[in-house]
Amino acid sequence: MKRISVYIISLLVIIGYSGSEAGAQNQPPDTVIVPLKVRAGADIMGPVIYLIDRNNLNIEGYISVDMNARTGIFLGAGYSDYKYSQYNYEYLSRGYFVKAGVDFNLLKPDASKGKYWAGIGLRYGLSSFTSEIPFFEYDSYWGTTITTIPASSSMGHYLEVAPGFRAEIFNNFSMGWSVNIRALLHTGTGKDLRPIYFPGYGAGDESISFGINYFLSWNIPYKRIKVQIKQEEPEETEDTEGTEPAESAGSLFPPAEYP
Amino acid sequence: MRSIKTKILVAVVAVSLLKIVSCTPESCFEETLALLKASMYQSSQEENVAPTSLTLYGLNMEDDKIYDQTEGVKSALIPLNPYAESCTFVIGINSVTDTLIFWYTSFPHLISKECGYTFYHALDSLITTSNAIDTVIIRNRYVTTSDEENIRIYY
Repeated sequence: MKRISVYIISLLVIIGYSGSEAGAQNQPPDTVIVPLKVRAGADIMGPVIYLIDRNNLNIEGYISVDMNARTGIFLGAGYSDYKYSQYNYEYLSRGYFVKAGVDFNLLKPDASKGKYWAGIGLRYGLSSFTSEIPFFEYDSYWGTTITTIPASSSMGHYLEVAPGFRAEIFNNFSMGWSVNIRALLHTGTGKDLRPIYFPGYGAGDESISFGINYFLSWNIPYKRIKVQIKQEEPEETEDTEGTEPAESAGSLFPPAEYP
Repeated sequence: MRSIKTKILVAVVAVSLLKIVSCTPESCFEETLALLKASMYQSSQEENVAPTSLTLYGLNMEDDKIYDQTEGVKSALIPLNPYAESCTFVIGINSVTDTLIFWYTSFPHLISKECGYTFYHALDSLITTSNAIDTVIIRNRYVTTSDEENIRIYY
């Protein structure tokens, strides 16, 4: 619960920060300059979990390229090595996965400034893995037997929705996290030997799985673009009812000049 | 508009985080044995009627009876041996004994992470003697953990 509280608080802080910063500008400019960046990041959640649970190793990284102020292309890849055992069987799964998709920034360009990202990623994932059951005990009327199911290779597919947050905390260095909600398309193993876990997706016996990433990213600006800011209509209140509506703040002043 | 988007995003993230850290049940509550379900039908009435008594055991396993003069069995549960291609049972219906032989293939199946693996079977054929039994028909050749009738025994 403590971990959830930290996440929710950091989420609210980021939202509050972006909102208050936007709101603090009484006279928002008509345009802002937004740097488009190429990002390369590594997940630290997987190695941290591995320190706690030596049976579950997940290494993951990504590259993303901003296409415009709100949309970016995402390409991720990783490796996973998973072991599980209980009184009547053992399960091993290891392999690689790739993910590709699009990230959408829900923050307005004047709030994000190319430094903050709060949005959602939509991705397609492909996983190539081998799974094996080295020990499997079966009790029946005919007695107790122990058997193995040899390693076999499979390819699984899934879709992923990844809402999250990212902030540039130093020059060209950002941190951020996302929760990953995944929908299984196909495990590649057939319905009888569904994978208990498969790389990139997680619990293969579930049609929906959840995960979390915390990325440290290096950002390389490659282009600056000028983005037009839409002025929001001032909300009508009872105080202003019957009076002439005030002109848009943006129209009273010339656009701010940026270097 | 942005505040609605933000609220939805916060809700999705919060629910997902709760789901990630929530406890999953570690106990197995599912059926773990795939048993062949044999419905007992009285030939004269064409109805699912339990015989007065039912006895069932594997060949050469008289000391370990599955049913022993049991009353009220309308559907008998028969365990197949996954390490053999055929299984022979001695079945006593109203104290009249028959022999029933099944041929099948077995394959492993994941029940769940909590329960582990079991064996399912695909029934190929069967033969029976005809002392008490009139006929046996295969209704569903796949023997799984679900509660589906596999064969009908008419007596």
